[in-house]
Amino acid sequence: MKALKLLLLPYLAVVIAAAFLWPEPAAGFIGESSRIVFFHVPCAWTSTLAFLVAAVYSAAYLWKRNPWYDDVAAAAVRLGLLFGVLTLVTGSLFANVMWGSWWNWDPRESSYLLLVFLYAAYLFLRAAVEDPDRRPRIAAAYALFAVVLMPFLTFVAPRITASLHPQTVINPQGKVLMDTPTRAVFFGALAGFSGLFAWMLSVDARAGRLRRIGQDILGS
Amino acid sequence: MSALAAAWVVCAKDATEELRRKVAIVAVFFFAATAVTLVSFAMVGALALPPADRPPLEAALLWIILFFAAATGLPRAFVAEEEAGTGLALRKTIPAAVVLAGKTLFNFLLFLAMAVITIPGFLILLDWKAGSPAGVAATMLAGGYGLAVVSTFLSALVARAGQRNVLFVLIAFPLLLPLLQAAIAATIEATAGGFPATALRVLVAYDGAATCGAYMLASVAWED
Repeated sequence: MKALKLLLLPYLAVVIAAAFLWPEPAAGFIGESSRIVFFHVPCAWTSTLAFLVAAVYSAAYLWKRNPWYDDVAAAAVRLGLLFGVLTLVTGSLFANVMWGSWWNWDPRESSYLLLVFLYAAYLFLRAAVEDPDRRPRIAAAYALFAVVLMPFLTFVAPRITASLHPQTVINPQGKVLMDTPTRAVFFGALAGFSGLFAWMLSVDARAGRLRRIGQDILGS
Repeated sequence: MSALAAAWVVCAKDATEELRRKVAIVAVFFFAATAVTLVSFAMVGALALPPADRPPLEAALLWIILFFAAATGLPRAFVAEEEAGTGLALRKTIPAAVVLAGKTLFNFLLFLAMAVITIPGFLILLDWKAGSPAGVAATMLAGGYGLAVVSTFLSALVARAGQRNVLFVLIAFPLLLPLLQAAIAATIEATAGGFPATALRVLVAYDGAATCGAYMLASVAWED
């Protein structure tokens, strides 16, 4: 993880610089607003990845009952929420430039906000279960149930009604409609944010394990 | 005893208990009736809206009433067992998935009973025209089942947590919103006279996913 951290710093610096300097702004967008795609979409991707990681580690916890898996799942949800809030903030900045309002109750905006609420509820649920032996099991059950219904929020709900949101990367044509520099920076940013998430997850999960061991010592 | 028969016994037990206690079941129906009356009183001005503009408003109000009326009654499924101290006995005698099935069935019937009170209230007090009664009925069945299965599963999760009533609403709303959105879309189309095939497909898909998730995780949520 130390090597990843050392690699990430220069890599992300290059990606951020390239996002502002290399590709031309996309046609049909006001000013430089299209450059938000290099930050907004990777945040949304990382947030979704974090929730999937939480589900995988929750399933692993239920299978093996190893508390480390619960530490990782909880850390993944916390980070998913962080990247989810960043997705909403960057989306809101774009909305204000393009549509003249910070929040438009667009179906995609609203469904993403609900996704954040869905996983904020995971943390409320953890906090509400006082029994330390039952808490990881209940949290894991919720994380797995939430991931079963998550596609309805991210894929189905935004498509039931008309949306102002620009066409997504996963579009009906199944093609990435970007020129080469935009594509290079975009996928570079996706890889960079994913790496950043992996490093942050390692740090937060280890901090969670220390908290748990500390509570066990104090409790015994 | 077969699993189906055991689920029916759990459902019948819940119905008998709730009918004996009366307070909780009366509260649910009273909430639904009061909410319809309040909405119709507040909507007097909206009755003057052109007929084409009314279905979205009416459909949203109908499902908001049904959701909050359900939120007062459906979470009791497992919570009532813990409050009465019968949870342990139930866990030791009947598998969790069967208990979940029985309680889901009871909650589904409770939802349908609520709908039977709310919908005539809407028809009379708000002069609501259900253009496609079959479409409305199918929406109530698919939407009600989804609401029942998700609420019952979440009730098992929060049954032994602190602040469970507040917690239930906090965790249920984001999970149920895709269902409510599809149910509202289906009700709008049914009100306008069409059969809401697309929205119903979404509802049935949601119901299927929620059922699989709930039954796979039932033992984790309910058993010790």
